[in-house]
Amino acid sequence: MLAGIDYFIVIAYIIGMLLLGLYFKKFVHNSDDYFIGGKSLPFWAIGMSIVVSDIGALDFVGVSGQAYRYGISVGNFDWVGSVPAMLLAAFIFIPYFWRGGMYTIPEYLGRRYNKSVRTIASVTWILFFALDLGVLFWASAVLLNVLMGWPIWVSILSTAGVVGLYTYFGGITAVIMTDVVQMIIMFTGGFALVFLSLDAVGGWENMVEKISTMGPEYRSHFDIIQPSDTKSPFPWTGILFGLTFVMANAYMIGNQAIVQRCLTAKNEWHAKASMVFGSALKMFIPILVLFPGLMAVVVHPGLADGDQALPLMIKSILPPGLVGLMFAAFFAGLMSSVDSLLNSTATLFTKDIYQPYFNKNADDKHYLKVGQITTLVILGFGVATSPISSDFPGIYVAIQTFMSYFQGPLFAILVLGIFWKRTTQWGGLSALVIGILFAIFLNVFKTQFFTIEDPFLYISWWSFVVGFIVNVLVSLMTKKHSESQLEGLVFSAKILTKNEKL
Amino acid sequence: MLNFDWLSGISQETAKMIFFSMYIVIGILVLLVPNDYVYEGIKKEDRHWYNNLKLWSLTVLSILATIYYIF
Repeated sequence: MLAGIDYFIVIAYIIGMLLLGLYFKKFVHNSDDYFIGGKSLPFWAIGMSIVVSDIGALDFVGVSGQAYRYGISVGNFDWVGSVPAMLLAAFIFIPYFWRGGMYTIPEYLGRRYNKSVRTIASVTWILFFALDLGVLFWASAVLLNVLMGWPIWVSILSTAGVVGLYTYFGGITAVIMTDVVQMIIMFTGGFALVFLSLDAVGGWENMVEKISTMGPEYRSHFDIIQPSDTKSPFPWTGILFGLTFVMANAYMIGNQAIVQRCLTAKNEWHAKASMVFGSALKMFIPILVLFPGLMAVVVHPGLADGDQALPLMIKSILPPGLVGLMFAAFFAGLMSSVDSLLNSTATLFTKDIYQPYFNKNADDKHYLKVGQITTLVILGFGVATSPISSDFPGIYVAIQTFMSYFQGPLFAILVLGIFWKRTTQWGGLSALVIGILFAIFLNVFKTQFFTIEDPFLYISWWSFVVGFIVNVLVSLMTKKHSESQLEGLVFSAKILTKNEKL
Repeated sequence: MLNFDWLSGISQETAKMIFFSMYIVIGILVLLVPNDYVYEGIKKEDRHWYNNLKLWSLTVLSILATIYYIF
């Protein structure tokens, strides 16, 4: 399926990534360098890294497929579902985390609430990342196998080998700097497909005209806002309440893999700018992943499975050479997701579990070694567990769904923790536990409560509401924290006007 | 109630205006952020208009508001 030039591009890309990643080994001297890049990285690299880590090979195919079925409303996830949250993160949350010298989000929760909240949040993330790794390996490898005929274990082992080596030696600096190249490759491959597809359908206006006359099921393909009674998973009420107000904020503010990148910034301006710059790049993602699916409606009408849209477009539109570039873009998506999971899991385990529970007073070199070993262990776990996905085809969706149910309560305790002094440790702990249980309850009985296909946006919103209310009620009934306990942890207008250090 | 049936009376056009207005509100909030806070981390003599993150944010918000207005 691949021509010689395509193989050359893909192999050159993989070797190039390995060499580039290993180059950054020389900058790792201590655990700060490994986990937060010695706080030395520029905004543009961090911003690019945030964006590319957020999108994998599976998203390319999945989002194109959804665009084929539902139209441009899928773009809400990267537009209204990311940009406002990234600006909130940039101007309010990231400065707090950066000034506080934190390594992890659970570390903030531990300081603001208590050790139990920190541990629950950290263990949840570690479990999610570890399970996600194996599933990601397998699902992406199957995808690459279907698309390009690349053997499954060649994809898994080459990705694991390359990413494992540079993440082990180079830490987060290697992760971020390889992400920069991966983003450039992803954007180049993606835009090449978009421009050639647009040419194939005779331009934008021609495509709109053709799709609009294809039948009633395509009538709302160009409506970004879907009615609240739509059967698609994207009613505007879910997009506003579940996505914009909760999931997007929880993801951009509470996700270790995202926030950890901003903590590597060389100063506070770079930390804020990385998020704002990332939000600008995010605007282009729907063009890359959504448009090919939309154009496939014209080029390949009547597909039973929308997920076939992108593979068919690549096969029918791209010439040799660009197919290789697109394949490299898929690899880039996989690698950037894997390296993020590895480094973030290593940071969470070392800082939130190992250091407080197993060895509090070791020297710095020891924690660096623990971080590196954790990287290898998680990588081995991911590779070893990847074939499980073939026995449980629904596991990818199950893990993603599980994580989405954690987001509502997590954001409730984050937002109250930073904006309301009266929130107590018991309020935070009970909100997290009860909120997660409520989300599970709604998921189990979803057919009785919801009418849309997949109500994950609604479940996120309502579990956030429950977490929020529980936090307020329990906090009012329990002993409040002293001013000294809250120093540097709760939002104060003073930091806006006086630039006070935390 | 959990299914947001109580908002079913709101038309698609009105919903679209809600999103459009949200971008405007966020833009106003961004404008209210003090310049010193936005530039924190850059030396006073190195502060230029192009380092002003408010301008970056407003540009992004304007583009998005336009997309939501058109579609």
